[in-house]
Amino acid sequence: MATKVTLRTCRKLSQVLFFFLFLLFFRLTDYSGLDEIPYAVNIFFRWDPLVTATVVLATKTFVALLLPSLFIIALTIIFGRVFCGWLCPMGTLLDGVGKLIQTSPRQGRSLRSVKYILLAVILTSSLFGLQLVGFFDPFSLLVRGLTLGLDPLFNLLVSGFFDPIYRYAPQWLSNLSEPIYTVLQNSVLPHKQSFFLLSTLSTTILIAVVALEKLAKRFWCRNLCPLGALLAILSRFSLFRRFPGLSCKDCQHCAPSCRMDAFDPKSRQVRHEECNLCLDCVDNCVKQASRFHFALPDNRLQIDMSRRTFIGAGLAGITLPLLSQVNAGGRLPRPTLLRPPGAAPEAEFFSKCVRCGECMKVCIQNALQPCFLESGYEGMFTPRLIPRIGYCEFNCTLCGQVCPTGAIHKLSQPAKQTFVIGMAVFDKERCLPFAAHSPCIVCEEHCPTHDKAIKFKEVTVINHKGEAIDLRQPYLIPELCIGCGICENKCPLPGHSAIRVLSSRTTSEDDEYGYGAHTQTTIIQQRSIS
Amino acid sequence: MDRRNFLKQVAVWSSGILLAEPVFRITPDLLAAETGTPILSVGTGKNYTSLVSSVLQPLGGIAAFVKPGDHVVVKPNIGWDRRPEQAATTHPEIVRAVVELAIMAGAKTVQVFDRTCNEERRCYMNSGIKSALDGMGNSKVQCNYIDQRKFIPVTIEKGLSLSKWSFYKDALQADCYINIPVAKHHGLARLTLGLKNTMGVIGGNRGKIHGNMSQNLADLNTVIRADLTIIDATRILLRNGPQGGSLKDVKILDTVIASADPVAADAYATTLFGFKPEQIDSTRVAAKMGLGEMDLNKMDIRMV
Repeated sequence: MATKVTLRTCRKLSQVLFFFLFLLFFRLTDYSGLDEIPYAVNIFFRWDPLVTATVVLATKTFVALLLPSLFIIALTIIFGRVFCGWLCPMGTLLDGVGKLIQTSPRQGRSLRSVKYILLAVILTSSLFGLQLVGFFDPFSLLVRGLTLGLDPLFNLLVSGFFDPIYRYAPQWLSNLSEPIYTVLQNSVLPHKQSFFLLSTLSTTILIAVVALEKLAKRFWCRNLCPLGALLAILSRFSLFRRFPGLSCKDCQHCAPSCRMDAFDPKSRQVRHEECNLCLDCVDNCVKQASRFHFALPDNRLQIDMSRRTFIGAGLAGITLPLLSQVNAGGRLPRPTLLRPPGAAPEAEFFSKCVRCGECMKVCIQNALQPCFLESGYEGMFTPRLIPRIGYCEFNCTLCGQVCPTGAIHKLSQPAKQTFVIGMAVFDKERCLPFAAHSPCIVCEEHCPTHDKAIKFKEVTVINHKGEAIDLRQPYLIPELCIGCGICENKCPLPGHSAIRVLSSRTTSEDDEYGYGAHTQTTIIQQRSIS
Repeated sequence: MDRRNFLKQVAVWSSGILLAEPVFRITPDLLAAETGTPILSVGTGKNYTSLVSSVLQPLGGIAAFVKPGDHVVVKPNIGWDRRPEQAATTHPEIVRAVVELAIMAGAKTVQVFDRTCNEERRCYMNSGIKSALDGMGNSKVQCNYIDQRKFIPVTIEKGLSLSKWSFYKDALQADCYINIPVAKHHGLARLTLGLKNTMGVIGGNRGKIHGNMSQNLADLNTVIRADLTIIDATRILLRNGPQGGSLKDVKILDTVIASADPVAADAYATTLFGFKPEQIDSTRVAAKMGLGEMDLNKMDIRMV
């Protein structure tokens, strides 16, 4: 069957291409054998105008990393929401799933205004210092769902298939299966099995977004996506438009099957800002009347949001940040909440972090994990370092390289090696050379700083049998410790480590507890006493 | 295969994972101890490739150890994410020279691996070992990362402190096991040499080994006994071991030590740091167990 190359074919090719690019960048968000990642793997976030808008509003500064978003803004001002129809990997995923489950394009009640409300709330609250974009940005949802849930799950399933063959099947069978497994490991599989907190929640959110497709085609894009809403507003000025500007009378072809439900049912007018230029209506038009060309903006219909709703959304956007400010949680010390190396001070970090999950994806020790409520709901999905799961690799600077907004600064290797994440504190009640008079100092062995932050003294102690034994007992030099957590990670004790890294960060600038200073002086005092 | 049959197979195999725990029993025939005086060969030179082959000459060359068709394991120290000049890992030129000799002697495969302490890809890459071996372009040479599935529980029959530990299958099955540690300082063990390098082929929580380190190391070495130990002392790490990091802690010696006796090799290497062999507990305990000779006067030391 010869297929005619139509405009729609081009659109589909573009969708497949960008979806593949997205997955490729996802896989390349990893150590490549070089200290630097040679590709802009975070480009989907850096060209996202919604991310740019919220970060710029929240920090009130210019963020050079986010300049590529000007490209998408320009593209939208010229061509309209072509990003939604041709580029967005979330849109492509939804189109694919919609095709699979035979979704109807019709939708009972229009919920189109919800996305504008979300946009207004997100933008206003970011202006007042609360960053909510991570809960709704399509790429944040997608990358988090993949990083924290689907990708580890994929690896688990594939290894769960090949491992039993390797272990228990006859030799000839594993001789066949292992080469296939190796090929997969060198191509589509991650380097090793990773484990994440919130794996179920992140995946469920992503699946829920996809499942909404059951209600109507592109349900998420039509009704909920705040990035779509922002691009919709921009596209009201765009120059590339559909003609005729309304659906033909008596023709039941394009308007009812529009995946974006862009035709107003009463006036038959196209809501240009809802159109994602999929070009189905051009290719399917029985009269060959429908086409797109350049023209001056001429919007017959108002945007689908009343003034009253807009004001309400704005008020909500102001109230939420204010409520967060009176939350006592923000004034409590969070000693076990460690941020990645290069993380901006907590307030700036909160403004800049868009919860994209890139740092957790790239972390080669699986050390960066998403917060749940440890830093309030406001900090959900922000990265934290949990040394008992994985430590921060001394020579690695990848998380700062992939952070699209600079919430984690890109550090040079020497700067990273002196960046203080936290400080290790011994639990002498459990530490083997102290509590059990048994040799150990695994922490000292692994301490990576050039002059080791963990040293030991040679002491003679009387053990519980009354024997005098020579022993090496570790101690910490606070000025040298960078809190990488390798000591906590490698401590051979079962359960909690006998050395734990505590954060010296303050939760806000006017933190009256002065936690960091307090810990340091306590330790220095303890040492001078002992 | 129909669906029902498939599901049945899956069920059978997955229950197998829960039930079966295969145990390899290795009987160490080596503890009978070698008769006669061990030969220990020491050489210095700037060209590490030729240095390795000349140091092996007094021992009968590589052919005395690697027979045609052998599966050879070469075990360097790739434990840390450090560059070669930082002296925390075996020098890539030494590793490559040993691998090349094994290939020339007719080895069927030469496997090079280590269970690293830092992230494995960074260690393999920054030690220079992976690129040195991949650069040979020889499919017989395999420089792969550790495969967790290959750790097998082993009953250590001669163990005095450890009775059971898991070991890497490829190391257990090797026809010829060549240990090529780097000589360096270590906080707890004082020095890490050949016997300690065996920790790179064991599984489990290695931190626990530190509780009774010297005896534990000797016990482990009753299971994996290197056929040949080549100690890389081209540069040695004097302080801040086993990781180092600063070139101020590194001393260049351009020396390589080789012996079929792992204890003798360790004992001699100790002298490079200005210590006596008996000052290193792991050497003393291993000698006491009959793993080899630690008395320098009872060795046939050949300088080349």
